[in-house]
Amino acid sequence: MHRSLRLRLLAGSLVWILAAVAIAGFLLADLFSQHVRERVDAELNGHLDQLTALFDIAPDGTATLRMPLSDPRLSRPYAGLYWQVDGGPAGTIGLLRSRSLWDTALAVPGDALADGEVHVHDVPGPDASRLRMMERLIRPAEHPDTAYRLIVALDTRQIDEPVEEFSTLLSIALGVLALGLIAAAVVQVGVGLAPLKRMRAALGAVRDGHARRLEGDYPQEVQPLVDELNTLLAHDEAMVERARTQAGNLAHAVKTPLSILANAARQDSSDLARLVDEQVGDARRQVDYHLARARAAAAVQQAGLKTPLRPVLDGLIRVMSRLHAERNLHIAVADVADTLTCRGDTQDLQEMLGNLLDNACKWAATQVAISAAIHDGQLAVHIDDDGPGLSEAQRSAVLARGVRADEHTPGSGLGLAIAHDLARVYGGDLRLDTAPLGGLRATLQLPAA
Amino acid sequence: MRILVVEDEPTLAQQLTDALTDAGYAVDRADNGLDAHYLGDTEPFDAVVLDLGLPQMDGLTVLGKWRSAGRAMPVLILTARDDWHQKVAGIDAGADDYLTKPFHMAELLARLRALIRRAGGHASALLNCGPLCLDTRNSQLTRDGQPVSLTSHEYRVLSYFMHHPGKVISRTELTEHLYAQDFDRDSNTIEVFVGRLRKKLPEGMIETVRGLGYRLIEPA
Repeated sequence: MHRSLRLRLLAGSLVWILAAVAIAGFLLADLFSQHVRERVDAELNGHLDQLTALFDIAPDGTATLRMPLSDPRLSRPYAGLYWQVDGGPAGTIGLLRSRSLWDTALAVPGDALADGEVHVHDVPGPDASRLRMMERLIRPAEHPDTAYRLIVALDTRQIDEPVEEFSTLLSIALGVLALGLIAAAVVQVGVGLAPLKRMRAALGAVRDGHARRLEGDYPQEVQPLVDELNTLLAHDEAMVERARTQAGNLAHAVKTPLSILANAARQDSSDLARLVDEQVGDARRQVDYHLARARAAAAVQQAGLKTPLRPVLDGLIRVMSRLHAERNLHIAVADVADTLTCRGDTQDLQEMLGNLLDNACKWAATQVAISAAIHDGQLAVHIDDDGPGLSEAQRSAVLARGVRADEHTPGSGLGLAIAHDLARVYGGDLRLDTAPLGGLRATLQLPAA
Repeated sequence: MRILVVEDEPTLAQQLTDALTDAGYAVDRADNGLDAHYLGDTEPFDAVVLDLGLPQMDGLTVLGKWRSAGRAMPVLILTARDDWHQKVAGIDAGADDYLTKPFHMAELLARLRALIRRAGGHASALLNCGPLCLDTRNSQLTRDGQPVSLTSHEYRVLSYFMHHPGKVISRTELTEHLYAQDFDRDSNTIEVFVGRLRKKLPEGMIETVRGLGYRLIEPA
């Protein structure tokens, strides 16, 4: 459970809500039943006072009521409210009784009471009921030696019923409240954690190459994290850019002296000059190859880049038509939709396609054909020429070691190998086949974005 | 033909100058972007060899300024930066060709020749005019298939005429295209070379247009 923030928050809320509702329910039910009991006792006390007031000893010595008690329940049999008078000279049980007692008498615990003292009992009553009973001992002033017990009693069902009813209602209300609170907690956790979810989606977009930064406004608790991540992404980008610039500077620093050496060597026909010429060529190939590798290593560390294919192709075709102007090649682009994009950096895509196109233009007799499509999340670019092509053995040698297929063609001959390496780094591939035009078909596969 | 070489590495610049001079071009040099821009903006060059990494103003900026000022001479970028990204930027800034270091001088010369030729609207390395045929690859002139020997000055003058057949060319224009800026220019020497050329060509091919200059015409 400690793995899920959401579960943790929900479990916390759940415990809190259930505990609060249970305690509140218990306290409220208790308070209510206490209140009902007090009210009942007050009512009984009222009836007892009335009974005491109406109780009278007739001149003939018999106990009597000056008038009937007012509550109508007292005259309905087993209505739940009763009164009774015990005692008298003979200590009779049920000397006087309410009509509601019908033919029974209340059994009063035989305790001793001081004069005027009020006692409360819970006793069995008629009709299998429990009774709440209140009694008082009086001695009429006229007959000070005779004690009378005045008793009123109420069926406890009159107490329990409203308490039960209230408890049921209370349970329902509290249940609904608890459910409402739980639902609110779920919503709150959902809303509270939404920025994190949004951030995860934004990070996913960066990883998938749909965005370069985490975008949007986040709550102030999350914003610092987002800012840190964005700074990290920018730092990454800057590092790659710096590495690239340094590689470029290194190239510049090495290649100019190489040019000078090579030019000087060609002015001369000694063995030394030949050696220098040869080694300069070798050094150049090494520099080119390792620069390309360094570039490739930096390439994919950068997250969140996507490059549309079409502008890159168009730019390179403009270059090809200049670099190979003397060849009068026809460079045809078929079916390359503007919407085709691949994951990764523009410069790397330029590097791969540039090398492939340059190679095709170098070898083509009259035409180069370019087409592209997306299959299974992979962007495949075909670059065909109508040149001599490569044999099976030459193809694997060209890709594997980056050696020249033909030492007599200008250029380093590393283009295909460099494109192959870069494509691999990107999780793509470069395949060489025979083109429909008869020459070489280079198929560059890259993850589409 | 006059070439501007923009290169900040002095040894390489000297090698380029030597090779181009040997090939019959007049060469001016600049070793920083500001000078390069000024020269290209004020002098008529037939082609420019431009390095990109230059002090004071980088090569692409220089090229961009020339192009936006309407300077249309062919420009060959010669640089160590060989990423395609740079090549696209160079071509899109208005370069006509792009060569990366280390390079073969022979390839540079071939590409320059082709650039100059294409700038004059010629598709082939062989320039023809009447019975004359000038092979720009090896500086050979033939007349009705027979080789004609030329001194390097004569070749330069004829080459300029053959690149612009039928066009009236003033002495000043000839001087500007045949000599580098620091050369002691004397338009009388032009007259001397034209006079010598006339003796080697069919009569009347180099016509004098009074008060304006010369014109190469096909004999009737």
